[in-house]
Amino acid sequence: MSDDSREYVLEMVGVSKSFPGVHALDGVSLRVRPGKVHALMGENGAGKSTLMKCLFGIYREDAGEITLKGEKVKFHSAKDALEAGVSMIHQELSNVPERSVRENIWLGREPLRRIGPMGFLDHKKMHEDTTVLMKSLDMEIDPAERMGGLSISKQQACEIAKAVSYNASVVVMDEPSSSLTETETAHLFKIIRDLTSKGVAVIYISHKMSEIFQVADEVSIMRDGRMIGTFPVADIDEDRLIKLMVGRDNTHRFPPVESTPGPIRLEIRDLTSANPRSFKNVSFELRQGEILGIGGLVGAQRTELVEAIFGLRRLASGEILVDGEKAEIRTPRDAIARGIAFITEDRRGSGIFPLLSITMNTAIASLDSYVSPALLLEHKRIEAESRKLNEALRTKTPSMSTLIQNLSGGNQQKVLVSRWLMTLPDILIMDEPTRGIDVGAKFEIYTLMADLAKNGKSIIMVSSEMPELIGMSHRVMVLCAGRHTGTLEKAQATQESIMRLATQFE
Amino acid sequence: MAANNAAGTLEARKGFRAFISKNTNLVTFITLAVGLGLLTSGRSFEWPSVRNLMIAESVRAFAALGVGMIIITRGIDLSIGYVVCLVASVAASFAQTPDYTAALYPGIDFPLWLPLMAGVVTGGIFGLFNGVLIAYGKLPAFIATLGTMSIARGAQLIYTRAAVVGSLKDSYKVISQGSLGPIPNLAIYVAIACVFIWILLRHTKRGTNFYAIGGNSMAARVSGINVERETVVVYTYAGLLYGIAGCLLAGRLGLANALTANGMELDAIAAVTVGGISQTGGVGTMSGMIIGVLTLGIINYGMTYLGVDSYYQLLVKGFIIIVAVWFDMKKYARRA
Repeated sequence: MSDDSREYVLEMVGVSKSFPGVHALDGVSLRVRPGKVHALMGENGAGKSTLMKCLFGIYREDAGEITLKGEKVKFHSAKDALEAGVSMIHQELSNVPERSVRENIWLGREPLRRIGPMGFLDHKKMHEDTTVLMKSLDMEIDPAERMGGLSISKQQACEIAKAVSYNASVVVMDEPSSSLTETETAHLFKIIRDLTSKGVAVIYISHKMSEIFQVADEVSIMRDGRMIGTFPVADIDEDRLIKLMVGRDNTHRFPPVESTPGPIRLEIRDLTSANPRSFKNVSFELRQGEILGIGGLVGAQRTELVEAIFGLRRLASGEILVDGEKAEIRTPRDAIARGIAFITEDRRGSGIFPLLSITMNTAIASLDSYVSPALLLEHKRIEAESRKLNEALRTKTPSMSTLIQNLSGGNQQKVLVSRWLMTLPDILIMDEPTRGIDVGAKFEIYTLMADLAKNGKSIIMVSSEMPELIGMSHRVMVLCAGRHTGTLEKAQATQESIMRLATQFE
Repeated sequence: MAANNAAGTLEARKGFRAFISKNTNLVTFITLAVGLGLLTSGRSFEWPSVRNLMIAESVRAFAALGVGMIIITRGIDLSIGYVVCLVASVAASFAQTPDYTAALYPGIDFPLWLPLMAGVVTGGIFGLFNGVLIAYGKLPAFIATLGTMSIARGAQLIYTRAAVVGSLKDSYKVISQGSLGPIPNLAIYVAIACVFIWILLRHTKRGTNFYAIGGNSMAARVSGINVERETVVVYTYAGLLYGIAGCLLAGRLGLANALTANGMELDAIAAVTVGGISQTGGVGTMSGMIIGVLTLGIINYGMTYLGVDSYYQLLVKGFIIIVAVWFDMKKYARRA
């Protein structure tokens, strides 16, 4: 390393990657200096993760070059990268909780003591090496402790230690502070400074504005699969950063939302999740015929909030009022009985029944209303009603008995909307209603939402797409790290104002 | 004209292929039945053979209907064999001839409904217990039913003091051994059960819930289905069916001992798998379950006819299960 006077330790030049129908990365270049913290910022879907996946060989880039310490490299797996000195700390911890700290750190490359042809684990060496490692990083963690017994921040520290133990020259951290408290984050920053003082380069992916200014030396901004620019942090301010992150034309089109919000239908008072790392003290109200957008970045706990309102997650405190009346919602069944419907963000995971017909997929949440006095299902009525709904929504399908898995994403989504309309709801919660749907089908879903609002339904729309939030909502409510940081009226809702609230970390 | 004709055949061929891929289980069954018919120069189609097949397979059919529903909800039940064994012993103990000195309750002539009642309730309790462990205790079905399997086995040995419960009353045996005209009673009971299960699966909300839970339990929960309660229900229904199976088996054999119904879980799971009830959950029909039972029955019958040693029959059965699941996984698993 003595002759290492190179300006950059890692260079990714002209990296492009496309998936069917999407240009995920378009000639992106990223140059990282040794001993510096390089922040990587961008909206959800800007291409940050894709870029890192190309670095680690999880995706194979279509074009571009990666140079590490002056040598061209091509990793085929995270293990290749690790051995070359590039490691990644993931947002979700990836340790083995039931094993000790030292076993986790040396996992897959345990020191062995040879006795003849046999190798046995050298626990003593493992322990000593771990102790030395921890000392060199100023971490106070007992190598013998069970990993799962440590706090989240200490577990993360262990992952960083593990990365260092590979003599990493580049450490990528993907939203490392998303599940940390303030003091834990401060400790993380101290570890990061220690790392950089040893000449390690850190690529720090985060959504939180304040952190960037605290910890980063340089910042690169990505948007829509392109690299917008790299700036020394000292030369840039928050306003400029936000503008660079969101500054694009509104390429999507939206139908006019013509309804005027009426009386309050749903009131949420001081809702706090039973999970201490999730949302806290959220209050809002939803009016008849209103579309309320809920915005925020990854980790803002938007989905958790709406799932809790629908009875899928436990609450610690707070009240839910439907039409002014306190509603005890413990299960989805209770919520459905109160006229609430919920279209989940994960269509495959918690939406469709892939091997059931469109008819049954539509009717499944409302079968109670289609049971004859003899307790048999009234198949004719079920079929007629679900056909009527799907025709109204223009679901494209060969027949009503087609299995839903054979439809496109947009058409599956229409079937799910039909499912919930069949329950005759007053309030529809739609979590990422247009995720994974092509542009044409998106417009149809938007039109449908506008029509529903016009007919007096109230809609909560959770969305990660800024234009969608701005184009469709009467009001946009923004969460950041589980807190309600503000609500914007349609006139004030701009990408900049939303992004400001979404990055306002306390 | 000629072109038109060709198109017609093409269409017909396509329809035929679609029919086969949709009804693989039925096609397999018919092929095997015809094959066996040719091998036996038609003897397997004669009434006595058919009758024997029905008698031999009917008890298994009850077990298959039970575990078939469980597999539709993406569960599994390994306790079948020993639960049926325990049920048969309990039922038999209340149906012994009163003057039989080695009877469990010598000298007492119980009314005929008591053994049936006791048997079915025993089966139901085990099913309920399985269901509660799996739904509310969150135990993997595999482990929960492995545990109850051992419990049932132990209970059977304790209850019978490891002795044969024999010398059953004729009035009890006739329930299983009698016939209505040429049709054996057992076949009639199976037919009645089939109608009930068909209605349950096809025409009730509960049946739809089973498919929904097996197809996507998270989506089922979001759709307002009480997944835990329905899980308890399906295991309890299955337990009741095992109860019926045990009562009928005791009557058919005229006794019960620790070996009664051993390995029935394997037979039942194999049968429904061959019948197209997918291990991935959410797929399967009543008719598929019965076709599966008959298919395995024909294979057993055929092997016996061909003089295949019963040890080899076990071997063949094992391979059949593996092949059936292998095809099943090819068909459905890639979507997972």
